[in-house]
Formats: sequence, structure tokens, C-alpha cells
Amino acid sequence: MTVDLLQADGVQLFLQLLAKSDVLIENFRPGTMESWGLTWDAIHAANPKLVMLRVTGYGQTGPYRRRHGFAHIAQAFGGLNYLAGFPGETPVLPGTVPLGDYIASLFGAIGVLIALRQAEKTGCGQIVDVGIYEAVFRVLEEIAAAYGLHGTVREREGSGSFVACPHGHFRTKNDKWIAIACTTDKMFERLAVAMGRPELASAAMYGDQRKRLAARAEVNRIVTEWVGSHGRNEVLGICLKEEVPAGKVNSIADIFADEHFQARGNLASVPVEGLGEVVVPGVVPRLSATPGRITHLGPSLGDATEAVLGSLLGIEAVEIQRLRQQRVI
Amino acid sequence: MNPAPSRPSTDALPLKGIRVLDIATIIAAPFCATVLGEFGADVIKLEHPEGGDGLRKFGTPSMRGDTLTWLSESRNKRSMTLDLRTPEGADVFRQLIAQADVLCENFRTGTLEKWGLGWDVLKAINPRLVMLRVTGYGQTGPYKDRPGFARVAHAVGGIAYLAGMPKGTPVTPGSTTLGDYMTGLFGCLGVLMALRHRDLTGEGQCVDAALYESVFRCTEELAPAYGLYGVVRERAGSSHNDFAVPHGHFSTKDGKWVAITCATDLLFGRLAQAMGRPELAHASTYGDQKTRLAHRHDVNEIVRDWCGSLNREDLLARCYETDTPAGPLNNIADIFGDRQFHARRNMVAMDAPDTGEQVIVPAPVPRLSDTQGSIRALGPKLGEHTDEVLRELLDLNNEQIATLRDRKAI
Repeated sequence: MTVDLLQADGVQLFLQLLAKSDVLIENFRPGTMESWGLTWDAIHAANPKLVMLRVTGYGQTGPYRRRHGFAHIAQAFGGLNYLAGFPGETPVLPGTVPLGDYIASLFGAIGVLIALRQAEKTGCGQIVDVGIYEAVFRVLEEIAAAYGLHGTVREREGSGSFVACPHGHFRTKNDKWIAIACTTDKMFERLAVAMGRPELASAAMYGDQRKRLAARAEVNRIVTEWVGSHGRNEVLGICLKEEVPAGKVNSIADIFADEHFQARGNLASVPVEGLGEVVVPGVVPRLSATPGRITHLGPSLGDATEAVLGSLLGIEAVEIQRLRQQRVI
Repeated sequence: MNPAPSRPSTDALPLKGIRVLDIATIIAAPFCATVLGEFGADVIKLEHPEGGDGLRKFGTPSMRGDTLTWLSESRNKRSMTLDLRTPEGADVFRQLIAQADVLCENFRTGTLEKWGLGWDVLKAINPRLVMLRVTGYGQTGPYKDRPGFARVAHAVGGIAYLAGMPKGTPVTPGSTTLGDYMTGLFGCLGVLMALRHRDLTGEGQCVDAALYESVFRCTEELAPAYGLYGVVRERAGSSHNDFAVPHGHFSTKDGKWVAITCATDLLFGRLAQAMGRPELAHASTYGDQKTRLAHRHDVNEIVRDWCGSLNREDLLARCYETDTPAGPLNNIADIFGDRQFHARRNMVAMDAPDTGEQVIVPAPVPRLSDTQGSIRALGPKLGEHTDEVLRELLDLNNEQIATLRDRKAI
């Protein structure tokens, strides 16, 4: 539905809609809604039970709150982008540009569900305030604690890991990539067997994680050489037979061809008028008794304006016509 | 650093009264319990008597012998030892399940069933139970029995392929445990929705979360673009130059890094102003996104040269002055010195019990205006609360507890 919040009539409509809603989600720069008269006090008065989610780059408070909050910048600010890439080289995007948006949104949804639960108990809604940068910072495991205690500044680790070896991405003979994650000594023992070199996992050689970390270049060289001498399917087959944690570094083409993605229904195909079937990621997570579903993909602009005004607010056709003429909707 | 408010009580917190049993390990499923605990749930970690959760050994050691990630992410939890493979341990577990609202687990598929503790059994004991199951590949499908780690999930879910320089080695997308955290968040959403359904109907259920799915779910248009147009997205280095220029990471004179994102012509105009070269944004030069995309190499070079001529602080000051979207690529040292992190109280200093170490950990996210989450304690010692839980929940006496200990069930 369309509505112009810069017009007084638009604000009035909006307040009427709030009275019939449970959750309001917004991401204007802090102060913007207030400048339209939509302060929390006004919103709360229109509907005391309403829960309001506010997502911005830097949150509603603090000195940077009014800065631009694109995910790319906010997740760099939160500490994630510094960590992606090879040591000493240009930091790269951690996979996708809006990863920080997704993570912030997940935290926001959790906050909303908790606040709804509280509102059902007390009759009182509240504000859920999420900064994209802090959502990203929250999921960086020990880096704050390690810096605080030991002054350790975590640096880019390339395709590997600082805490386990071998643990990274390796190129196969057919120029594809697989990920191998030997988090523990037991996993490395299995990999050594898979490589046909069980002696590598002996105590005298690389059986111990600390020894592998100390000799990381050599261990990675051995694994790189072995992986490079086999095609991807072959090397993956051998790893999985020995229960080594390994998987393809999938491109989207690989994903579409993958039987597990198919079996789990991760590729939802939804018809869209004028486009045919559009494939999108299915619903996550999977609930056994009340699974989610996709009823339709993103609507065209304003396709429900009249339905919402008519059925939800009981506004008559003449008035809708007037609102349209005034460009309120 | 902000001292933690002195042991705030859970009375006012919104999840007070929710009891969570956490029999999971490392980060993914336990992180769901961590978030629930921040908002007032009583989280009891049930750990194997020998060594406990592997997270106690994952990463930088603390003086107490466990690790910093353990201390941070097991915040607010109580630790009780329990060996589910002993008959006595399984019996205690069933009694605890009868009094629980949520169970978080991440054993490989079929493991709990093998011990006689599958969903059917648990549901019969407590029909109101919500069970979160996290594995690498989920509870169904051909790969369900494969071992799952976040590293592998990043690869399978499609983001590792996208991280790195074009044609270069794919790199870790920032943090090896990112997929674990993302799955914990999706799992937590599932649990909260299932709890609401349970409150309305009395019916509990299973939440099935897979590491690779959480990652794949957050890949915006990757799937539809391939499905409709056959576009296989490749690694893009530091910039996403298919949509906007300039858009990426640039190094500054003092060897630091900044992110600049000019998603629109308006924003590029502001950048040109910040650079003191407003003529770059003219219609005849690079004012139009299409022109910039066509000459991305030249535009990036101009921006790179400018960034290389200034120290980061000066450069960002000019960007902020003209409202250009830019920011630092903070490392953890930058973060500790940053005003915004301090003003938002994003870091909390907590005293580690016993050793007197001060451990600084990320504060709860998100921020709720009336019922903010809290950190009441860092990760507990193994079995620190075993006796307390057995007395409080199952009303066991000293003798009964001693018997369980003799039989190595706890």
C-alpha cells in the first residue's frame, strides 16, 4: 500500500493503521519519523500494545546515530569486513553485501517476538532498537574478550582459521573448490586415513592440533597437494566415507543441481505474473507443527492500497478517491 | 568500558519463567539458548561429566582453563553434568524434560533416538516441549548424516564461493563461526514462534534448523537471478561493482581501510564534494551511475588515489561533513576506542569468577526499551550447578545425588 507520510492526511491514515496493527517496522534515519509528528509518544498513544522495530546503521542513540547506515558500511564498522580476505591484503566482502542487514534483521525479529510476548502479558508495547553494526559485532565470538585481556587484534585469516588446521578451502584437480574443517585431532586422523597417509596423524607427526598449527604451511601443502590430485566429487566422496567434515564450495549453479537442496525444499519456486516461476530460498527454520510458507513474492507498488483502506479501516470509495487525488496514497 | 549493572535480577525480564535445557555444543544451538537467557529464561546446560561442552576448549584459553568464547557465550547459563548414555542419566533427563519449556540439541541425526530420547519419547513426557534441533544439513534429506561445521556450511550454503578476489582462493566470510551464529538466530526465532503456538494450543513441536540453510537464506537475489537469467555470481573482491560505483574498500595514507558506498548519483555527488572535486559529478563526467559503471576502473582509481592521500580520520571527517556514506573498517582495537560503541554500551566488562580476570564481552542485542536483556554472569564452571538443579527441580537429597555421582551419571 502506498501512503505519503509528508502529508497530514497521510499521517492520520497511518495512525489509524497503527491502531489495528501489532508491529511497526521502520528504518528511517533517527529523528525522521519524529519530524513528521510520529514520535513514540504519538505512536504509543495510538496503540499502547504496538511493538516498534527500529533498524539503522548505528542505532537510535550515540554520536553516530544520524550517519548513513548502509549494510556495507555498518558491517565494516562492526568489525566483520576487516576480517575477510588474506593477511596483509585488501579486505573483501564477507560473501554478500547485505549480510549485516540480514543479521540485524534476525536480531530485530527476535526482539519483536520477545516484545510481543511481553505486550500480551502487560498490555504495553515497546521499542526494539537495533544498529546493524552492533548486530554484526555481537556475533564475532571471542575477539573482544581476547583484545581486552591480551591485546590480540584479530587479523584476516584468508581461507584458513587461527584455531584449527587444516581448516579451509582447497582447489580440486578440475579447478573447483572444497572446504575441509578438521576442528579436532580426531577429524584430522580421519583425513589422514582418507588421504591414505594415516601416519600423518601419529603423535610424532601432526596428530596434535598445536603441532599442526605450528606447522600450518606444511600441513596445508600436503592437503592442497592431495586435494589437487583428485576431481571434486572424488575427493568429497573419499572425505565423506571417512566422515571428514568436508563440502563443496557451492556456486549458485552447484546449489540448483544439489539433491539435498532439492530434498529439503530450499529452492522454492513461486509463480509471478509476467515472469513465470521465480526461484527463491525457502522458509527457514522448519517448524514441525506450524511450518511457514510463501503465499506470494514481493507485491507490485500499491497493489493492496484499496483493500487495506477498505477492509481494515472501513474507508469508503469516495474518500479513497479523494486520498488518491490528493496524492496521499 | 561499562561495568555490568550489579547482578540485575531476572524478575522484570520478559522470558522469566521459561526454562531451557541446553544439551548442545559449540555455538549454533547454544547461541539460541544464550539469547533466551539474556532476556530472562533459566538456561541449564547439561554437559558430559568428562570435559563438558567442546566450547570450553575452543579458542583462546582463559586463566580458569576454559576459553573466552565459552565465558562470553555461556553467559547467564547454569552448568549441570549429566551422562545421557547411562540409564540413570537418561532417567534424570526425562524428569528434567517434564519441567522444561525448550530443549536445544545438536547431536548428529539419530543420536538421541539411539539413546531412547527421540522426539516421540520427549513429546510423550512433555507435550508442551519445544525442541530445537540444529545440524549441518537438517533432520531430513540425503546429506542428513554428514558431519556439519560452519566452515562447511558457508561453503555449501553459497557465501564462501562469493568471498574473495575474483578468480582467487575463496576466503572465510569474515568469521569461521558466522553460520553457527546465524543458525542460532534462526533457531531462536523458531523457538519463540513455537512457544507462542504452544501457549495458545498447548502443543509443542520441533524446530529443525540446518547450518547451510541459514546461510543460503541470506543470499538476497542469488537464487532468482540464476533461476531466471542463469547468472552465476562470482567473487567480487572488495566491491560490488555490478550495481554501483564506487562501492568498496579503499586504503588510506596511514595504511588503514575505509568502506565507501555510492549507491546513487546523489551520494556520488556528495563524495565528489568531499573530495573537493564537484566537477566529477557533472553530467558530462561521472555524474551518472551508468557512466560510472562503464568507467568503473577510472572512477575507482580516482577514489583510490584520493583515499591514499589522506589519513583515515581526516578522510572520514570530510565524508561525514558532506553526508557521504563511508566508514572505517574497524579492527577490534579501533572498536575499543570508538565513541559509538561506548555510547551504546556495546561492550560489558564482567569479572570472571575465581580468577579476578576482567573479561570484556559483547552486550546483548537487540535493545528493548522496557525490558532490556542483561548479562548476569559469565559461563559457569563445569558442573557448578549440578547439585543446585537436582535439588531445586527434582527435589533430590544428598544421598540420591551421591548415588548418581557414584554411578557416573553426573
